[in-house]
Amino acid sequence: MPAIKIPRKSTIIDMTAMCDVSFLLLTFFILTAKFNDEQSVIIDVPAARSEIKIDEPLLLSVDKEGKVYFTAPKGAMRTKTLDKLIERYGEKYPQLKELNDVQKAKFLDIEMVGFPIENLPEVLNFTKEQMTSFKKSMPGIPMDTIQNQLGAWLMAGRYADPEQRIAIKGDKISNIDAVQDVIKTLTRNDVHRFNLITTLEGANR
Amino acid sequence: MAEISQGGGGGHHGEGKVRTKKLSTRVDLTPMVDLAFLLITFFMLTTTLKKPQAMELNMPKEEKIDEDKQEIADCQVMHIILDTLDRVMYYEGLELKDWKKSSYSPEDEVGIRKTILNKQKAVSAGCLTREGKPKDLVVLIKLLKGANYNNMVTILDEMDITDTKVYAIQKPDSMEVFAAKVFAESIYKQ
Repeated sequence: MPAIKIPRKSTIIDMTAMCDVSFLLLTFFILTAKFNDEQSVIIDVPAARSEIKIDEPLLLSVDKEGKVYFTAPKGAMRTKTLDKLIERYGEKYPQLKELNDVQKAKFLDIEMVGFPIENLPEVLNFTKEQMTSFKKSMPGIPMDTIQNQLGAWLMAGRYADPEQRIAIKGDKISNIDAVQDVIKTLTRNDVHRFNLITTLEGANR
Repeated sequence: MAEISQGGGGGHHGEGKVRTKKLSTRVDLTPMVDLAFLLITFFMLTTTLKKPQAMELNMPKEEKIDEDKQEIADCQVMHIILDTLDRVMYYEGLELKDWKKSSYSPEDEVGIRKTILNKQKAVSAGCLTREGKPKDLVVLIKLLKGANYNNMVTILDEMDITDTKVYAIQKPDSMEVFAAKVFAESIYKQ
């Protein structure tokens, strides 16, 4: 009686397929990732339980010192916002009408607007180095009763896309008065429904 | 494991032809797979989600506030006052009296959450409309000048957690500002 022969099989598995899959995944994740822009103004948002997620709103930020900044969503929306601003407020701020196409294109790179509209042409002429240092010391958008420029930006954004959600991003320790001024600007411009950016981190539930 | 076996110089045997050893073309891809997965894991773990979280807030129209003023009964109201020094106080009813100190801590017996929940129970038990239905609790949030934004969000969050439907953020009038000063002094001295 011959013993049952177990055929010897090679233990080597062909890894090619697995390699394909893993690199496919890797490529997918890398290509679909959107990079965060470097934040020039650091804002530490308060924690809350709410879990509503919003994608790229018109953002009104209030920093620790109560300075106010405006952010339009990236890409086409940002260009459109500037166009609307020129269209609607060109009379009031004649500097806007002098902007050329190069300057307008440069506006796309401005993550946060935190300076008076009058300074816009000047800021758009900055070199890269000047811009980096300027971003760290922006004066904030003027919001006094005579000319509420935040309102102007807000309306420009709203005309560019009426569906766009609006959110306020305030720093934990920023003064309530500054935030309330922003809220007042919103209600004056007929925005009664908006969001407050919060984080889940460390929220007491 | 790699299948490539170099023909270690297996050179000239005698005068025979130069024979090239047949090399296997199979390459072991295991290390490459390892690397790919390592990279995937790295990217997955280091990415943070970009979409920000948000809470919703509805504000009334400014000019409509007076028209919309609803009659509220003394028994259904609770005022919450936030002051400059991260303190929170409250009083029940419409009259400026019986101020009590509170805190933001959810576990605290006199904390704002427990207080609201207790008040809710009291209102639904003891504060009825003419038809005998229980009324809703109305919370009025007064922010004193110089209070900070974090506390406002905390209180709004408490409204969400305690499921308080009717609440409003208001500017305190001069009486309340004055009262807040006096009461805060006496409450927090003890």
